Amino acid sequence: MSENVSSNPLTNRIREALSLALQVPIEGISDDLAFGDLPQWDSMGHMEVMMRLEESFGIEINAETIAALTSVAAIRQYLESNHLAAPS
Amino acid sequence: MTSSSLQFAAAVTIPDHLIGEVHSKLAYVDERIAKAHISPSGDQITLELKYAIPAAERAAIEEKVQRVVLSMAKGAIRPKVQVLEDYLDRPTPFAADPMPELLRRGELFQEAEGIYALGPLFTRLIEWFENRFLQLADSFSARPYRFPTLIPARFLERVGYFRAFPHSLSFATHLRTDLDQIDAFAEGASCDEHGHLKVPLESFAPVRTLLSPAVCYHLYFTLADQTLPPQGVVATAVGNCFRYESLNLHSLERLWNFTMREVIFVGDKEFVLANRELARQRMQRVFGEIGFAYRVESANDPFFIGEFRKQAAFQSAFQLKYEIRARLPFKDGTLAVGSYNYHQDFFGRHLNIRLPDGSPAHTGCVAFGLERIAFAFLAQFGFDSIHWPSSMQEVFG
Repeated sequence: MSENVSSNPLTNRIREALSLALQVPIEGISDDLAFGDLPQWDSMGHMEVMMRLEESFGIEINAETIAALTSVAAIRQYLESNHLAAPS
Repeated sequence: MTSSSLQFAAAVTIPDHLIGEVHSKLAYVDERIAKAHISPSGDQITLELKYAIPAAERAAIEEKVQRVVLSMAKGAIRPKVQVLEDYLDRPTPFAADPMPELLRRGELFQEAEGIYALGPLFTRLIEWFENRFLQLADSFSARPYRFPTLIPARFLERVGYFRAFPHSLSFATHLRTDLDQIDAFAEGASCDEHGHLKVPLESFAPVRTLLSPAVCYHLYFTLADQTLPPQGVVATAVGNCFRYESLNLHSLERLWNFTMREVIFVGDKEFVLANRELARQRMQRVFGEIGFAYRVESANDPFFIGEFRKQAAFQSAFQLKYEIRARLPFKDGTLAVGSYNYHQDFFGRHLNIRLPDGSPAHTGCVAFGLERIAFAFLAQFGFDSIHWPSSMQEVFG
């Protein structure tokens, strides 16, 4: 298990979403994981992540956002700053 | 009851930005489709079939069409269109479709759908543009390469090409190395009235090669499993490319067999992006000198339906591809005659091309469709060289 894993509930929900989208055990999703760090998080994997985030958080992601949400930290910041972190 | 047409509501409304993309994919749905139409509102689809078929078979075709619609349009993300240059309103002296005149003059000879032999004027025009593209390559000290027309299936498999573009593949094989098979072929091979070669499939050897769909792939394969020099790699090559377009094959606008000149960059992200941008600026000057009417805008590759929604959205979001779209005055439309592409580290990862620090290399290329750019030029400037740009009059007199 990665050492860099927080107990923050939002981060954990993001990690769960990424785990499902990328088909990687949740232990493999660290808080500082970013696009390209795993072979599964490539272009296709990234779009799986986007769709999973839409589903899990009830949000609609546009083209601009797709290019910005390239790390666990960026996703958390986006959800927090847009008040989208409430449970879906 | 049999019928040769079919009209039905789309399973989901096709957004306006996807109508052209979905329409182009309907060409691959069923061999019995002669023509497809999607209403401007994106909610009605009409198919004309080559002959009347029973209701059950029409229903099966409709089901396949709905699969395409759902796969491409459901939950589609609207692309962020970015225009880098817009010179579409440059005045140009010609407004007719050059195809009839090209055929009348014997400048074009259609060998088959999407396959043309080109005459002297067209060939010299292509050479003129080729010289400009070679000057562009020289400005980067690009190293020249020659690549084969065939490409091994295992190469394309390694970069996921079969999943992304299965519909446009062209396969190459040969007779099995068996004297009986070769003798039987030599004795009996003939074409039917449709031009189909009547040969049993078992006469052919297993497919290990295809006709190459792109030029730059060959360079990436030569670099596979290697570490790049610190200064990166810049290369240039011209080659035949093959992309089967089914019902979409149309004049010189959409060929099955075409020629592409590429300038290719391999290195770190900054190296590739800076050179791609430099190439765009240099070509902007070339196009400006001849008064070419065009626009450079973000685009996506024609991924097949299963991959389209995700891959196209990704390309759009990260602005990976820009097309040079030339104006075709005769149809009040545009035609992609080239593109500026960035693949991130896709090829670096899949082919294990490494930077000196061990990380995957990034790649990019600028590509020009030679037949298309010459065609677009004739569509804008016509056949009378007195109306052509002065720099070209010196060559064509």
